[in-house]
Amino acid sequence: MFFMTIQVYRIKPEIFILFRYGTLIARYIKKRKGCVSAVRKRMWFMGICVFLLLPLLFMWGCGGGKKEVAGPGGDPIGDPIIIGSALPVAFSYGWVGERGIRLAVEEINAAGGVNVGGVMRPFKVEVIDTRDLEAGVPVSEALLAVEKLILEKKAHFLVGGPARTEALLPTLDLVNKHEIIHISSTGSFSPRSNQMVKDDYEKYKFHFKTTCWTFTMLGDFYGVLDSLKEEHGFNKIAVMVQDVAHARQAGEIVSKRMAEKGWDVMDPIIYPTGTLDYSDGLLRARKFGAQVLFVWMDMPESVIMMRQYRDMQIPAIPIGFINAAEHPDFWNATEGKGEYTLNHLVNSGNAPAVVTPLTMPFVEAYKARWGVEPEGYGASSSYQAIYTLKDAIERAGTIETYAVLAALEATDMEGVYGRVRFDPETHLVMHSLDPAEGAVPQIIQWLDGKRETVFPPSIATKQLQLPPWMN
Amino acid sequence: MEIIIYGIVNSLTLILMSIGFALAYGVSRIPNFAHGALFILTGYLTWLLRFRMDMPYGLAILLSLIIVAIIGVALYQIILIRVRGMPISEIIASFGVGLAILEFLRWSGLKGTAHMLPPFMSGSMLIFDVPLDYQRIIVVLGGVSVLLFLWFFTTYTKPGLSLKAIAQNERAGLVLGIDSDIAATLAVAIGAVFAGIAAIILLPLGNIVVEMGYEVLVFAIAVSVCGGLGSWKGAVIASFLIGFAQTITVSLVAPHYHFVTALFIIIMVLIFKPSGLFGRQKELEERV
Repeated sequence: MFFMTIQVYRIKPEIFILFRYGTLIARYIKKRKGCVSAVRKRMWFMGICVFLLLPLLFMWGCGGGKKEVAGPGGDPIGDPIIIGSALPVAFSYGWVGERGIRLAVEEINAAGGVNVGGVMRPFKVEVIDTRDLEAGVPVSEALLAVEKLILEKKAHFLVGGPARTEALLPTLDLVNKHEIIHISSTGSFSPRSNQMVKDDYEKYKFHFKTTCWTFTMLGDFYGVLDSLKEEHGFNKIAVMVQDVAHARQAGEIVSKRMAEKGWDVMDPIIYPTGTLDYSDGLLRARKFGAQVLFVWMDMPESVIMMRQYRDMQIPAIPIGFINAAEHPDFWNATEGKGEYTLNHLVNSGNAPAVVTPLTMPFVEAYKARWGVEPEGYGASSSYQAIYTLKDAIERAGTIETYAVLAALEATDMEGVYGRVRFDPETHLVMHSLDPAEGAVPQIIQWLDGKRETVFPPSIATKQLQLPPWMN
Repeated sequence: MEIIIYGIVNSLTLILMSIGFALAYGVSRIPNFAHGALFILTGYLTWLLRFRMDMPYGLAILLSLIIVAIIGVALYQIILIRVRGMPISEIIASFGVGLAILEFLRWSGLKGTAHMLPPFMSGSMLIFDVPLDYQRIIVVLGGVSVLLFLWFFTTYTKPGLSLKAIAQNERAGLVLGIDSDIAATLAVAIGAVFAGIAAIILLPLGNIVVEMGYEVLVFAIAVSVCGGLGSWKGAVIASFLIGFAQTITVSLVAPHYHFVTALFIIIMVLIFKPSGLFGRQKELEERV
């Protein structure tokens, strides 16, 4: 009824909701007229006011949940090329990825569109919320979203998610079934999807990835930890991870590897999602004498940990993959108590950095469009995925799947996070610490309210700093 | 000492989360499954009024609590009153309202880590050489204050005594001229305000996220079931039982079992006392 009405009469949903509230309440009051006391009348009046004003407050305060996307500035001709994006838009990997995708599409359309064999065609984005990062939402929901994009929205290409590995892996079978190119640009750090491409190329060749694996990120962490050992003599580490598969695995690998490297490693502490108190683990780390806290968490409650860390003045430096610490609002969320936190942003360009001549223009454009700097993982890789796809389509001269597939495999271009090439066996974008060779990672440290790049050295803006209470 | 200090903090946190739910059920026998949503709604409203409308923090808190109280009244008068006496319908209706509130908040922009309430006091102090931040001390003080207020309200004030009378024997209360609908409305509204107070005290420890609404509801139910549905004294004892069990588990076993401990305690209590610690639902069966 709701959707039918707003579609048939083209009414804005919020206007419809307010109108509906009003009429329902008015009808109810009329029905009860005569038997309602003066006190109750006043109570009803207050209730009506609250129910009518609350939605207005939220809409005004938040600017609404959906942002209207500006139309193309150029005059592309030809039918649009539809990009289907299955993303968990309530989570940062989802909405940040969507912003990267939309920004690239708007820029491309404003510049005239995609040159497909001499015909300029615009991109059009169709996003469906997969909710695949929400607890209790079955994987089948994400797969339905992917299938809907392919069958109902008639997507020519899939870019974005699903973000959860458990949802991404079966997506590869759907992609194979419908023979549609899929570029994973946010979420899943698992090497499994690319391993599937390697193991059964014929079946899974349509899948590409513009992000990276856990192993790649761990390699970067080892680089930072080695330098801490060399420069400051650190050799004790406490590992604290969230109770989710990727974090537990990362914790296990780091514990094992650091023990092999001669570090004293405290027994890993695994926190359930939603934990509100980390004092026990932090006190244990202090008793253990840990100089490094290795944290791997993607829950927003990790902000609490960073506040407690500062309040307790734990003499150790926090380093890891902390979803909350990626975002520019982390500083305010921790009231500055997250200072000195080192965080992996996965790909460079997810925070200001000079990696290639394209990086800072992307950062500025993102800020101009969304009012905030790139917010973390998913931004640069999703933006880059669209430009990589455009490049492949233009070289192929068609949007026919197999031609674009071959063109994507032959990709060699400069991107926002370094040189973009795909591994011919796994279809994972090639990584390097040198922007001239591959996609460059970025580890930032929160210093004085800013995300300063400290790793890799080729793009570093500041030297790593220790908290003053460690000296 | 760490276990004692953080056990007290954890227990008072659980009391704050659950006391509103326990009170509303105790008087009206309506399980308000929108409790967690009202918790988050108060936090978000306060954030909107404070940071979007630049209101003084105190005024923002006061207004949010008033709005949530009105929503509590409306929730009972518009929805719950129609299904009163049908437990399954009450649960479905109130849970539906809670779900709608939480999803509406998510739709209207409550996502990410950007939404947080400022703590009343920053910094920390050492208590017997155990560091404890000031906001957690406020949690303890807030929890104790809520309990004292509840005791005073239900012992010395007329509305509180009316609520107590209805909770003890609804028909006798009606004979004495107490309107059970008004009492239930008042109970749901006070329960909503207690959810709001809990949000104001607890949310500055972290940030306002929709998922926490579900978590608060689960803990409120866990504590209420364990203490005996309808008994707020039971809820207090159960909070201490679960709170200390969780803290001991986290310290001596692993934080991983934090949530499991709460469920384990409930199962154990229900095996030996099916009505909960102070509940009376299955009193006769227990005696037999």
